[in-house]
Amino acid sequence: MIERWALVSGLKGDLETYELIQSDLKKARGVNTLFVLGDMIGPERNCDALLNRLQNPRRGELKPQCIYGWWEEQLLAEQGLRGEQKADALRLNKGEEAVTALLNAVDSYHLKWLASLQFGFIELDCGLIHGSSADIGDNLTSQTSPLILIDRLTRLDVNRLFTAHSTEQFHLELTGGGLDSQVKELNGESQHQQKVSKQSIIGIGAGANYTIYDVGSDKTHFLTVSGQYNTKGKGFA
Amino acid sequence: MKHAVISCLHANLAAVKAVLNDIDQQGIDDITCLGDLVGYGPQPNEVVDLVRERAIASCQGCWDEDIIEGLNACECSYPSQLAEKRGHLAHEWTAEQLTDINKDFLASLPTSIRRDRILFVHGSPNSQHEYLLPDMNAFAALERVEKAGADTLFCGHTHQPYVRELKNGSIRVRLQNTSNNKAEEKEINLPMRKIVNAGSVGEPRHGSINATYVIHDDVSGEVEIKEVAYDIRQTCQAIIDAGLPPIFAWRLSHGFEFAEQAEDASHVCER
Repeated sequence: MIERWALVSGLKGDLETYELIQSDLKKARGVNTLFVLGDMIGPERNCDALLNRLQNPRRGELKPQCIYGWWEEQLLAEQGLRGEQKADALRLNKGEEAVTALLNAVDSYHLKWLASLQFGFIELDCGLIHGSSADIGDNLTSQTSPLILIDRLTRLDVNRLFTAHSTEQFHLELTGGGLDSQVKELNGESQHQQKVSKQSIIGIGAGANYTIYDVGSDKTHFLTVSGQYNTKGKGFA
Repeated sequence: MKHAVISCLHANLAAVKAVLNDIDQQGIDDITCLGDLVGYGPQPNEVVDLVRERAIASCQGCWDEDIIEGLNACECSYPSQLAEKRGHLAHEWTAEQLTDINKDFLASLPTSIRRDRILFVHGSPNSQHEYLLPDMNAFAALERVEKAGADTLFCGHTHQPYVRELKNGSIRVRLQNTSNNKAEEKEINLPMRKIVNAGSVGEPRHGSINATYVIHDDVSGEVEIKEVAYDIRQTCQAIIDAGLPPIFAWRLSHGFEFAEQAEDASHVCER
């Protein structure tokens, strides 16, 4: 059986877009798992309808597997559900008004569910995290240094990392290279060459832009809610 | 010019004196300390006093931070739950013994010291609690040095001295995104960088009982790992006299920590 995942993020309360994605996925062949990599909420609109839907899928819809993202972390922090932290990053970047708008966008009824969400998933050989293993707000893009990307993969001990925080859609594959390491200790010296493993970082996009991952062929497809591939329908190996 | 780098003194006065004497005999005036002045050992005030008297530039280590901030600040993983309990005992005993002046001194220490393209930290540039072991992924190790904007990174925390050169590196990537239909391929050449771990003066765990430190020649770039014998019995007796767990004396006299690993090797401190 073909196994394909749909990966979505950055809906920020947009139920209409979510419904369009669900509609597209019904038509897509073999998509049997839907991951929502955080930022389900945001300050721009009321998010309760989307949160209700994510927790109570309609018949025939894919049941979403959700993790929390940067906006959820800010809300949970401000509500006292992340230790002594507050929404300091949001306050610093967007001001007090944004904090208030976020608090008003989500009914407190949903806090328990949001607080129960995990930081990420490890599925097969893939890490699925909103930012990265280093930080929920880690902004990994196609231009991020490959050294940093290798570090993030190494921390998770996976060969593929799906990330969402940057909102960019990209598939960056590490295809080769190496690094010589010479270690001198009191009892002698040793040399080792570490090869670059074939690993990938995939940015899944946000909002109307989402990604389908074909587990069997290891190909990613970038789509929009219109159902069209963002790159002429070709998968990226 | 040569300078000496010491780390992880751990309130072991005899070891600190022996190492400083060894450095003095070589005519080296410039000394940098990478933290963990206290913890485990029986002479926290004496060691901090000596570092202050000698005006040795120091970073704050995880134990120094722990003493100031309380146990919740400690993210160090212990090899077993029993080891963690003993660590707590050492923490409480050290916190009781330290004078306010010395606590203030530890609180005032920076988490890193930079000299041009050389960076001094306790654990890693990310955290006082991160272990940069000699066999960690070479790319991840290089990332730590690069991220810090350094050519050479001096660290401690592992209690195992080493010099690691990372060189002749490259990474090839293939990039596909929504703005290009054809995959873009490129190769990035990586810079040469060095990580120097100064080992431990007061709590050696490299397989020998001697204190270790390093001497760096900033002209030639050469690093020499030094091993110094000291009066271990004197420190062990002081540990017993202070009422600290006797195993702290035992492991000093053996140079290993393995005796505590069998009890629950899978335990990781999650604070």
